[in-house]
Amino acid sequence: MIKGTVFSIEEFSTFDGPGIRTTVFLKGCPLKCTWCHNPEGQNFEPQIVKSPNGCLGCGKCFDKGEEVTGKRKLVKESIYVCPRNLVRECGTIYTPEELCKKLLKNVDILTDSGGGITFSGGEPLSSHEFLLECLKLLEGKAHRTVQTSGFCPPNIFKEIAKNTDLFLFDQKIFDNETHQKYTGQSNTNIKENLKYLADNKKSFIIRIPLIPTVTDTEKNITEICSYLKSLGINYAELLPYNKMAGGKYPLAGKNYKPNFDTEKEPQPHAEIFEKFGISIKIM
Amino acid sequence: MTERIEKLLKTLRSHEYKKQRTTKKYSFDNELKGLNKYMCSVKRLSCMLENEKPLFIENDRIGFYRYIPQIPTYSLPNGRTVEWHEGNITPDYDKAISNGFKKILENINESKNQNRTEEQLQFLEAQEFAINAVLEYCKKYREAAKENGLTELYNALGKIPYNGAETFYEALVFLKILIYTLRLSAMAHITIGRFDRYMEKYFEADLKRGVSEEELFEYIEEFFISINFDSDTYQGVQLGDNGQSLVLGGCDQNGEYKFTKLSRMCMEASIELNIIDPKINLRVDKNTPDELYILGTRLTKRGLGFPQYCNDDIVIPGLVKLGYTLEDSRDYTVAACWEFIIPGKGRDIPNQKSFNVPLVIRNATINWLERCKTFDVFQAKVIEEIRKECDKLISESNNRTDPPAPYQSIFVNDCIERAADSTEGGAIYNNYGFHGSGIACGADALSAIKKCVYEDKTISQSELLKALETNFENNEELRSKLLACPRMGNNDDYADELGNFIMQEYSSYLNGKKNNKGGIFRAGTGTAQMYIWDAKNTKATADGRYDYEPYGASYSPSLLTKPDGPLSIIKSFTKFDLTNIINGGPMTLEIHDSTFRNEDGVTKVAMLVKAFIKNGGHQLQLNSINRDILIDANQNPEKYPNLIVRVWGWSGYWKELDNVYREHILRRVEYSI
Repeated sequence: MIKGTVFSIEEFSTFDGPGIRTTVFLKGCPLKCTWCHNPEGQNFEPQIVKSPNGCLGCGKCFDKGEEVTGKRKLVKESIYVCPRNLVRECGTIYTPEELCKKLLKNVDILTDSGGGITFSGGEPLSSHEFLLECLKLLEGKAHRTVQTSGFCPPNIFKEIAKNTDLFLFDQKIFDNETHQKYTGQSNTNIKENLKYLADNKKSFIIRIPLIPTVTDTEKNITEICSYLKSLGINYAELLPYNKMAGGKYPLAGKNYKPNFDTEKEPQPHAEIFEKFGISIKIM
Repeated sequence: MTERIEKLLKTLRSHEYKKQRTTKKYSFDNELKGLNKYMCSVKRLSCMLENEKPLFIENDRIGFYRYIPQIPTYSLPNGRTVEWHEGNITPDYDKAISNGFKKILENINESKNQNRTEEQLQFLEAQEFAINAVLEYCKKYREAAKENGLTELYNALGKIPYNGAETFYEALVFLKILIYTLRLSAMAHITIGRFDRYMEKYFEADLKRGVSEEELFEYIEEFFISINFDSDTYQGVQLGDNGQSLVLGGCDQNGEYKFTKLSRMCMEASIELNIIDPKINLRVDKNTPDELYILGTRLTKRGLGFPQYCNDDIVIPGLVKLGYTLEDSRDYTVAACWEFIIPGKGRDIPNQKSFNVPLVIRNATINWLERCKTFDVFQAKVIEEIRKECDKLISESNNRTDPPAPYQSIFVNDCIERAADSTEGGAIYNNYGFHGSGIACGADALSAIKKCVYEDKTISQSELLKALETNFENNEELRSKLLACPRMGNNDDYADELGNFIMQEYSSYLNGKKNNKGGIFRAGTGTAQMYIWDAKNTKATADGRYDYEPYGASYSPSLLTKPDGPLSIIKSFTKFDLTNIINGGPMTLEIHDSTFRNEDGVTKVAMLVKAFIKNGGHQLQLNSINRDILIDANQNPEKYPNLIVRVWGWSGYWKELDNVYREHILRRVEYSI
């Protein structure tokens, strides 16, 4: 049976589509964006993590843990010894039925507000079989949004698109070489998938992360705008880089190593969007 | 914001005006010797007024500020020392402001001419005496206003408070005189009540006379600022807990929903001013338009911890069930924090006692668990313990007596007509309310017992009892099993039904029981400061809570629960028919301030509030919180002189909060959204 790994379910997520939404974050991502703010969503396997908020520093969790290359690593037993209940397994395995049941438990509130359910990640399309099953189960029961980098083989993407009500579709970097440098992957499929959505009049919203000196350059924004215009797209949402992006790395037992200047203010380049007749909203 | 208002806000924040106050300590014991109990009370008031000095604040036209910050205690003829009058009243402002003291004096006189006992006459004479003392002080204030060039105030005081008010400004000054004198009479909690209802006629009359909306808006803002100047002199467990709640919207006595131009201006003034008082309460119902929730959310965004929402669809039927008339129930207002009371008609003591739910569940566990073969049998024992605790609290409450308050009784119906003090049967409603602290904690404890002891049998009765007695010492694995059980707040029927069970048994047993004042008892869901103090008397509980660890504030998940989110919390906490537990006590939600950063987020929070109301919630209080700022403020309070946080039924300045409340707020936001 198909199963999926979920690293978080967030009720009342307010920036993941219209209305009140419950967003489910699927674990695992083929991209390695250096600005990623969900490091616990990168690996596909479940991990043991500890929320730093409220930690007493008693060390009981590490006492239970095991030694891995000279570092103490948390293990499942660590969960049960935390006096503040802060250690948890990040990555719960669900069948599509189990997950959808959980996602639908407050569906009346979601629907009343014009909202629904959003699949995010990680990269939800990288768990496409599981995702597709979930989307099918939710048909007619809740509005379905998929938040994606667009990185996915086109034939699979089309199948997902048939079962999705709205995409939140990232446009990070237009130039393929630069895209590879900062995300570790080519953007050829991403462009093709976006073209498919535009050509087939699917519902989608373009989202552009504004990463200082990486995506917010005049060149990149101009290229993206020109591409969007050629597809007949005239609206985009901008997500300025969040200085807190590195915040969750210790939780996931990772180091945050951005290869760009995090202190620079992200530039929205409103004038370029205006020139191309693309209206924007800064999120 | 006009220049006048800007300057007033600056004055308020500078605290310089406090230097005008006296530091002299007063005692009026000698003046009170040999007087009857009613006269003692009003003589202290008149002595205060004789020693008060008319103070003025630059740019302010409302007046009536405190010269003597501390109110001296006094002794009754029976030897009892009176410091403060407990309880919550919303005076009948409408009657007083429209009729003036002249008409009230006539009413007192009429009452005196009935066939009265000596004590009744003493009471009525004390009321007359108090009114004359107030009128005398207003005369003095008027002369001082003239000397200070405050012509508008001088003119108004030529009419009010002896006569009724006719203009909006006069009505505001009259209201201020009432607040000022009632505070001097040592009433702890006087609320502002349904300001948009009783001020409406003056507001409309001014509009008709051609007064501009801008001028009226400035008056509202000026009045709001004016009630902040002396709030540090009011009695409160903590600064900020001063009872100045103001209710907007809601239906009138005929059941028609009213949200007027004045109501809207009050909301806008509160959003613009960003100050602690008045604390706004918004009455809503299933027909409330989205736009009003959005307006309310814009106020929440300011981070003051209000508005608090009250649901007419639940509160009104709930009060009717408790025996309030339908007309009175429709006119409800909130007391200092959240307790529902009827303006001008009651001297309810809605915070009489706290029903400590986790303690009751713990007692049942310690006393009975080992002898109960099934969970059903154990539940029956829980019911016994609930009743036992209610009986104990009822009997303690029924020993209560209150010092007479003849001046306050002027504004409570039907004290004058009955010639009886509001503390001695003069008021129409004389009910006692109980808080219900730690409801979720109690539900979680029952859930853990049901699951671990009776269903999964992973913990034996004796193991659990030992763990509870030893505060889980060296028993973290047992505790983690308890923590992993279904908990109230995750929209899981398993735990929620046990919460409902507790509320059902507690409220159905307590509601309607008779008190010693001719009133009844009412069960509620609030905690006030009891989430700390009740918890300090309660050792470890079966939900995994350690000895003395605090509960959640009011009607909210336990601090040990990591909730799935606000939607599940709303669902969990609205499964019970809340019309049955309507003493008051809001569901409390913390929302990260970044949610409000654009209009989209504001609208979504508004929809969340609407969902709560639609699902049958009774009362809701939202906080816009940024944990990082709070942590920084905890280490460097001096960096945040104006940071305001919601504590329980009220908001206060962070820098002035006791540590125990700061810590609780920090824990509360660990799981904030």
